[in-house]
Amino acid sequence: MKLSAEAQTVLDKSMRINRTDEVERAEIERLIEDMPDDRVMLYKNVVSNPIGDLPRYSIHIRIQHMLIFVTFLTLAFTGLPIAFIDQIWAQPLNDMVGGIDISRVIHRTLAAVMIFAMIYHVVYLFWVLVRDIAMRRFDIQRSIIPTMKDIRDFRWDMQYSVGRGDQRPEMDKFMYKQKIHYYAAAFGNLVMVLSGSSFIFPEFWAAILPEGSASYFQEMMRLSHPHEALLALLVIAFWHWYNVHLAPGRFPMQWTFLTGKITREHQIEEHFLEYLRNLVELPEEREYLSDLLIARELSPKTYDETSGAGESL
Amino acid sequence: MRYVIFIAAAISLLAAGPVLAFEDDSGCLLCHKYPKMGRITDTGAKRSYQVVPDTFSSTVHRNVPCTDCHSYIKQLPHREVKEGVRCDSECHSIKNAATGKNFSHRSIVNKFKQSVHGRDKIETGLDADKPYCVTCHTNPIYNPDEAKLPEHIVDRCVVCHEDRDFVVNWYKHTSRRIREVKRSPSEIVELCSNCHSDKALIERHVRSAEEEGRELGRKYPIAVESYDDSFHGKVTRYGFTKAANCLDCHAKKENYYLNVHDIKPSRDPDSPVNEKNKVDTCRNCHVYADEKYAQLDPHPSSNKDSNAFRYYANIGYNLIGDVVIVLLLGMALLETMGRRRDGVSWIMHKGSSWWRKSSRGRDRIE
Repeated sequence: MKLSAEAQTVLDKSMRINRTDEVERAEIERLIEDMPDDRVMLYKNVVSNPIGDLPRYSIHIRIQHMLIFVTFLTLAFTGLPIAFIDQIWAQPLNDMVGGIDISRVIHRTLAAVMIFAMIYHVVYLFWVLVRDIAMRRFDIQRSIIPTMKDIRDFRWDMQYSVGRGDQRPEMDKFMYKQKIHYYAAAFGNLVMVLSGSSFIFPEFWAAILPEGSASYFQEMMRLSHPHEALLALLVIAFWHWYNVHLAPGRFPMQWTFLTGKITREHQIEEHFLEYLRNLVELPEEREYLSDLLIARELSPKTYDETSGAGESL
Repeated sequence: MRYVIFIAAAISLLAAGPVLAFEDDSGCLLCHKYPKMGRITDTGAKRSYQVVPDTFSSTVHRNVPCTDCHSYIKQLPHREVKEGVRCDSECHSIKNAATGKNFSHRSIVNKFKQSVHGRDKIETGLDADKPYCVTCHTNPIYNPDEAKLPEHIVDRCVVCHEDRDFVVNWYKHTSRRIREVKRSPSEIVELCSNCHSDKALIERHVRSAEEEGRELGRKYPIAVESYDDSFHGKVTRYGFTKAANCLDCHAKKENYYLNVHDIKPSRDPDSPVNEKNKVDTCRNCHVYADEKYAQLDPHPSSNKDSNAFRYYANIGYNLIGDVVIVLLLGMALLETMGRRRDGVSWIMHKGSSWWRKSSRGRDRIE
């Protein structure tokens, strides 16, 4: 496979960061040369462990996800029956979570846990950032920070989806979809914390806001809390759960949130640039891929031979 | 016919030889003990005039002879009742223990008459929409706590107070007043809502105020729906007792039982929700409330006339929500279609999700 300029840059940077020696460099370059030109053939032919093959999330990220996941759902189940009290499901759901005297205590306690999870996440990211910069390992493309490439990837991927291209874009560790979701969740959490605080401490917000704006702020917060909660729940239920549970190839679920690992076929399909880094960082993955290319005769050279279209070795 | 009933009633009364639970000196039970004693009004409503002696004996008025309140009854059988009982009439049999004067609810009725709800017993026109005493004071006629007195307490009392009937009455009287018998917050909201959510009633009063150039409270037309939509309203409906209900803000906190009868419109300087008094009223619960806090709307509404800002903000939020969901689901649908076309299957089989035939002709090598 001849790498695109973008992929080549990522590979070179990864090898530089990992101080890959000449022998390994040669091995990696040879391996990449042997990869089929059609990336689709690569992810269609690898064998994946359903619970994951390649590292993706650290234990801290998994704990943070679990904290946000449990608190968010319980907060939604204790809060929505109050906001949407006239709905048919509200009263039974409120009874189920213990009635208003219990659910308000659960709601406020878990709100504190969710805020803790957010602080934990920010502190962890900051620590990782400082560590990576100090070790000269920081790579902005490998981070969740949005880049112009994400917009290009989005357009390309949509074109592929409607049948105009034969390849999905070569995306990084966090593709455009994950960045949208991450920032939506981050923004949503902030809105929920801000608006929730305006319910618990309305006097505080009224005191610090300029004259005349306190009531507008409070009205916005009163609208924001249930609207944002409902939107978040719908996005989680219909989009996030679809992507990680119901989408083809992900059913019944991606185990990444528990094991921290992603399947090989998924990594190559949606996070090819990260897969190149895996090849640099994980000798055993290089070994696996090399064996696979031989076993399945996927190398372009073998391809050409078998089809008779190319030149022989 | 009336005489026949009267005679039949008298005979059956004698035949039964009842021991009455309260003094019926005027012989009212001669007729009023019968279940069928009632009538159908001009509007078709069924009215029962039956008095069940045992039940009446448990009510707060059990010691008041019938004719003290029904003072217009001068003869038996009596004439058609036009007006009914006025709560500010004076009892002739019951004395105010503190003053020795005849007992009457007149002072609280007079206070009530000065409030925004004030009315006379018989009113016509818009004032007839206002509540009279019995609209709110439904006086539960059966109180299980009083029906079953704690024997060990009564037994102890009669050691010195030999008259057991006196002890029972005294216990019922005192315990009812000591115990908190006011409505729960959700019941208070329900009571006020009976009238304040009546759209026809509200429309009558709004129209009349417009025609007469009278001022009405800004939230008057949406008082109940906006309260129900507030956080106070929602948690109160679920039975939470610490959030503000109607009376917590609209009646003065001090001397609560008196002041719930003296509710004033917000334009009245004496009203706790008047601009001048709002901060103090908020501080009853929100101890750090200040002038800016008092500007927050306790009756939030997305009604365009009431709050245009909130109305448009709400539309904006709904729009954003709908667009986001449609776009995300559209994206998921497109992606699925694209990947399905390329041969992805829902379930992984032998370590691969790509074992289906692709319509693009590049399949997994088996």
